[in-house]
Amino acid sequence: MGFLSRASKTLKPPKNLSLLQTHLTLNPLSSIFRRNPVSTNFNYDPLRLSQAFCSHSRQSSKENAVDLSQYPAERIRNFSIIAHVDHGKSTLADRLLELTGTIKRGHGQPQYLDKLQVERERGITVKAQTATMFHKHSFHGADKDGAGEEPSFLLNLIDTPGHVDFSYEVSRSLAACQGALLVVDAAQGVQAQTVANFYLAFESNLAIIPVINKIDQPTADPERVKAQLKSMFDLDASDALLTSAKTGQGLEHVLPAVIERVPPPPGKSESPLRMLLLDSYYDEYKGVICHVAVVDGMLRKGDKIASAATGQAYDILDVGIMHPELTSTGVLHTGQVGYVVSGMRSTKEARIGDTLHHNKTIVQPLSGFKPAKHMVFSGLYPADGSDFEALNHAIERLTCNDASVSVARESSTALGLGFRCGFLGLLHMDVFHQRLEQEHGAHVISTIPTVPYIYEYSDGSKVEVQNPAALVANSKKQVTACWEPTVLATIIIPSEYVGAVITLCSERRGQQLEYTFIDSQRAFMKYRLPLREIVVDFYNELKSITSGYATFDYEDSEYQQSDMVKLDILLNGQPVDAMATIVHNLKAQRIGRELVEKLKKYIDRQMFEITIQAAIGTKVVARETISAMRKNVLAKCYGGDVSRKRKLLDKQKEGKKRMKRVGSIDIPQEAFHELLKSS
Amino acid sequence: MLKSTFTPFFSTIPAKPRFPKPLPSTILRALTQSAPPVRQNTSLTIFPPPTSAYVHLPFCRKRCHYCDFTIIALGSSSSSNQPEDDPRMVNYVQLLCREINATQVKTNPPLETVFFGGGTPSLVPPKLVSSILETLRLKFGLSLDAEISMEMDPGTFDGEKLKGMMELGVNRVSLGVQAFQEELLKSCGRAHGLKEVYDAIEIVGSCGVENWSMDLISSLPHQTPEMWEESLRLTVEARPPHVSVYDLQVEQGTKFGRLYTPGEFPLPSETRSAEFYRMASRTLSDAGYEHYEISSYGKKGYQCKHNLTYWKNKPFYGFGLGSASHVGGVRFSRPKMMKEYNGYVENLENGLVDCGGSKYIDVKDMAMDVVMLSLRTSRGLDLKSFGEAYGSSLVVSLCEVYKPYVESGHVVFLDEQRRAMTVDELNSFKLNEEEIEKSLAYIRLSDPDGFLLSNELISLAFAVVSP
Ligand SMILES: Nc1nc2c(ncn2[C@@H]2O[C@H](COP(=O)(O)OP(=O)(O)OP(=O)(O)O)[C@@H](O)[C@H]2O)c(=O)[nH]1
Ligand SMILES: [Mg+2]
Repeated sequence: MGFLSRASKTLKPPKNLSLLQTHLTLNPLSSIFRRNPVSTNFNYDPLRLSQAFCSHSRQSSKENAVDLSQYPAERIRNFSIIAHVDHGKSTLADRLLELTGTIKRGHGQPQYLDKLQVERERGITVKAQTATMFHKHSFHGADKDGAGEEPSFLLNLIDTPGHVDFSYEVSRSLAACQGALLVVDAAQGVQAQTVANFYLAFESNLAIIPVINKIDQPTADPERVKAQLKSMFDLDASDALLTSAKTGQGLEHVLPAVIERVPPPPGKSESPLRMLLLDSYYDEYKGVICHVAVVDGMLRKGDKIASAATGQAYDILDVGIMHPELTSTGVLHTGQVGYVVSGMRSTKEARIGDTLHHNKTIVQPLSGFKPAKHMVFSGLYPADGSDFEALNHAIERLTCNDASVSVARESSTALGLGFRCGFLGLLHMDVFHQRLEQEHGAHVISTIPTVPYIYEYSDGSKVEVQNPAALVANSKKQVTACWEPTVLATIIIPSEYVGAVITLCSERRGQQLEYTFIDSQRAFMKYRLPLREIVVDFYNELKSITSGYATFDYEDSEYQQSDMVKLDILLNGQPVDAMATIVHNLKAQRIGRELVEKLKKYIDRQMFEITIQAAIGTKVVARETISAMRKNVLAKCYGGDVSRKRKLLDKQKEGKKRMKRVGSIDIPQEAFHELLKSS
Repeated sequence: MLKSTFTPFFSTIPAKPRFPKPLPSTILRALTQSAPPVRQNTSLTIFPPPTSAYVHLPFCRKRCHYCDFTIIALGSSSSSNQPEDDPRMVNYVQLLCREINATQVKTNPPLETVFFGGGTPSLVPPKLVSSILETLRLKFGLSLDAEISMEMDPGTFDGEKLKGMMELGVNRVSLGVQAFQEELLKSCGRAHGLKEVYDAIEIVGSCGVENWSMDLISSLPHQTPEMWEESLRLTVEARPPHVSVYDLQVEQGTKFGRLYTPGEFPLPSETRSAEFYRMASRTLSDAGYEHYEISSYGKKGYQCKHNLTYWKNKPFYGFGLGSASHVGGVRFSRPKMMKEYNGYVENLENGLVDCGGSKYIDVKDMAMDVVMLSLRTSRGLDLKSFGEAYGSSLVVSLCEVYKPYVESGHVVFLDEQRRAMTVDELNSFKLNEEEIEKSLAYIRLSDPDGFLLSNELISLAFAVVSP
C-alpha cells in the first residue's frame, strides 16, 4: 500500500496536523487500530497492568524456554524504526538488541539484522526485519510487582529500509506496530524519507517517538533538528530522545520511552483468532515461513488454521518468535508478532496482508494491504540463451522471498525467451538482479527499464504498455493518445542549491507544486515529475548538482497525457526489439544520439561494418557506424605448438558465447547494461 | 509400436564404454549427444606413427626484443666464432640425444622430415648436429629423400659451416632475415645487421642450397609501407623458393611487450598492419609464389613438408627443451626450464613418463584442431574426411555458419575440382548432407580477407564443434 497511501497525503507539508486527520478514514489500517490517532504520549495505569498480568496466569508449555503466556497484551510493545536512508536505524537496532541481551555485544556483524548479502555489501537495509526482545521496566512511581521485581516486557522491533523503493516494506511493518521510532540524523536533520516515513507512521495512527541520532558527530545540531521536527511535523521537541547509536549515549532512554509512550496492541484475547500475514519467505529446511501479527485470540502449535483469502486450511507445525533467530514457543498470544510454519508448499500461498484464522470459524477479515505498485518494468533474459530454465527456476525461488516483484513470461526476437518483471523502483530492480546472481547463480541481461504507459488507439481501446516492443506500428489501429505515470517528488536541499534544482526539474518536465523553507538553511520543494524522468538517473544527477546534499523521495501520482513515442534502435537496418524505449517526442533525438553512441562504444568491431541507428517510426534521428575489423593477430604456431593458438581461439569462442547475437552482430552484455544507465 | 518399445530399451544400455580397448572407447566417452559420433574404424588411421621430428636447439647470441620462445642466450662472450666445445651446447645435445633414445616407439617408419628450430640452430657446431642426426637415424631411420630443415640466422655461419651442415644431410635452410632495414634490425634487437643479411643470402646461393626460405617479419615498430615494400622487393630479387612472413606479435614479458601496445605508435595501426599483409600477399603472388598457408609462400614444389604435417594435424615427434609433440593423438609440451627438462629426460629413461595413448582424448578437441589447422592453409578443410571422422551433420553445421561469410568474401566453398561456388549458386543451394556431399569438397578462407580474420572465422567453427 506504500505508494497509494502516500498518494493520499496532502501536497503541503502540514504545519497543522489536524489537517491530516480528514484523510485518516482513507487508511485501510485505521480499522485495525482503533485509538486516538495523534497522541504520542501514552501512560498506563500500572495497577491495571499488573492485575491483568496476574489474571493472565495461563498454563505455559514447559518445553519452551520462552514463556509467552507471561506477556499479555499490556506487556507487549510493537514498534518500528523508521528514518531516512543511513540515519542509523539498523545500528540503533543493534544497540537495542545488545542492551536487552538478545544478541551478545561485539558478537556478530554490525547491522545484525541486515542479513542479505546485498544488504551487507551495499550497507543498506532492503527487507524489514523483526526481532523480539525482553526488557524489564517499571513505570516511574509505580510499585514493583509482588515479587519485588520489575515487570518484563516483550518488545517487537522492526528495522525497516530507508530507501524510497522499499517503502512498501515500511508500510507493511507499520501494520504490525503501534509505535515508531522516527530516527533523524542530528547533523543532516529532516530529509526526504524522514518526511515520507513520518507520514506513513502518522497515517497508520502510530505513536511516534522522535530519536535524534548520531549526536556524537562534530556537526551534530540537535536543537536545529528539534526545531525542524516541530515545524514540519508538529512533534514536541521535549519528546525527542537524543542518542548516539555509535557511542551508546542516551540509549538507556529509548526502551523506557517505547514502553511508556507506545500503546500495547489493542486486540481482544477472548475473541477468535485473527492474524495478519505480514511477510513470508522460503527456508530450505523448514519450507515456507510466515511472519504474522496475532491481532485477536491466540495460536498454538497443532492448531488448524485457514486463509481468509483462499479458504485453504493448514496445520500449524511450528510457531515462535524471532529472537532474533527463529525460536520456537509453541504459542503466540494476542498482540504478539512471530512466525508460523504451516506446511504451505509455496510462498504464493502466503498472501501478504491475508487474514489467517482458526479453521471452521468465521471472522471478519482484517483490512490487509493494497498490493505493491510496480513503478518500473524491464525484461530479464538469460545472459546465456540456453539457460532459460535455470533463470526461470532462479526467479521462482527468489520471488518466494521477494513477493513485491511481478513476473510474466515474454519473448524477444533478439534475446529469446525471458520475463517481464515489475519492480518498485530502480534500486529494487538492481537488488533483484544482484540477488539473482548471488543467491541463485543466474546471469541475466536486462532490457532498458520502462514505466507503464497507457496508450489509446483509434478504435477506442486502451492498453497499458509495459514493454516498448509491444508498441507496433499498425495502420488500422493508430495511437490517438498516450498517458504516462507521474510522481509527487519531495526534494530537500540546502537553500543555495535551489536554482540548480529548479533547472534540473524543469529539464525533466517537472511542474513545481510547492517551495518552502524548513528552516533558514534548508528548502523543501514538491514537484510533479513524469516517472520516466526520474527512474534512471535523476537521483544521481540531483546528488551531483547539490554536492550530495539533496535528498529525494517520491510517491506515485496520477497519469498525465504526454507525447510519448517509441524510439527504435536498428542494427544494420534491423530493429532490435529488446533495445526499444518509449521517450518524450522532444527528447527523442537527444536520447537516440546518446544510445547510439553508447552502443558504438560497447560493440566491438566485427567482420562487417555495422550501422547503428535510432529511429522514430521511419525517421532516423541518430546514426553511427562501426567500421569492419581489419585483422586478427596471426599467431604462427611455432614448432607445431598449437596449444597457445588453441587457447586464444577457445577464449574467443567463449567470449562470443557470452555475447548476444542479433542478426549477425555480436553484442556484449555490457552494451545492454550500459543502455540501462541512459535516461 | 516398435518405436515405443525400442526407445526405453535403448535407454537401458549402461553408460559405460561399450568398446573394450584403448582409443575407440576414450573417444566415444568424450562424445556428447550434440556432437556427431566418430566413426570407429577411422580412429586407428587417425594416429599413425609420426614420420616427422622437430628438434629444438635453443641457443641464441641474445634475445630479440619480440621473442618469447624457449631460448638460452649465450651472451656476447662467444660473439664472433663459438668455441666448438661450449659445454652448454655439448651437454644439451647429449641430453637431447638421450631423450631421443629413451622415446618409446611401437612401429617406426623412417622419418620423412626433420626440422631444427630454435633459438638459432645455426650456432650449433656441425659436429653436434651430426650426433643428433645420427641418433635419429639409429632410432627411427631417415628416409633417403627426407627434408631436413634448419633455421639459420645471418652472421652465425659462413660457407664452410653451411657446407658442413649440408654434408650431414641438411637440405633446406630457413634464413631469418626479418627485415632489410638496418634501423629495423637494430630496433628489434637482432644480433646481425644488413651486411650480414646480404652475406648470408650470398653464402646460401654459393653453397648451392636449392631449397631455402626467406623469413620476414611484418608490422615491426617504425616500419613504414615503403620499408615493407622494399623488403618484399629485395626478397623477390633474392629468389628464395619459399618465403615465410610472420606478423609481429607483441607478447607479454618481452621487451616489446613492455614498450608497445598493439595498434599504437610506433607499431602500425590495425589497418596498416592489415595493409602490410595484403602487400605481401599481392607482391609474392605476383612473383609466382603460392600463398599456401597464412604465413607461408612457396614456389611450386617448395612448400615446407615439415610444416605441412602441422597443418594436416599429422603426428610428429618433438625433442628438446620446451618442444611440442603430437604422438598417439596426444599433444605434449616438454618443460621449458633446463632443470625440469633434465628431470623429464631422466623419468623418460626410467620409464616413468607415460607416453601411451591412455590419456583422455576429447573428440571435439581433435575436431577443433583439424579445423583450426586446416583453415590456415589454402587447401582448406577437407569436408569428406572431416565428415567421415566427425560426422556429416557437423559438416552441415559448419557450412551453415560460414554461409554468410561466403557472401562477405571471407570464406570460399570449393568443389572436388576446387572450383569456387558463387554466391548465387550458394543461395539456391540446399545445405543438407546429400547436397553437400554431392557438390562441396572443401572450405577455405579467402586470401587475404579470410586469412586476415582467421581467428574470428575459426572461432565461429569452434562454437559449432563445441557449443
Ligand atoms: N557517528 C555515528 N555514526 C552512526 C551512528 N549510527 C549509525 N551510524 C553510521 O551510519 C551509517 C548508516 O547506519 P545504518 O544503521 O546502516 O543506517 P540505516 O538507517 O539502517 O540505513 P538504511 O537501512 O540503508 O536506510 C553506518 O556507517 C553507521 O555506522 C551514530 O550514532 N553516530
Ligand atoms: Mg538499515
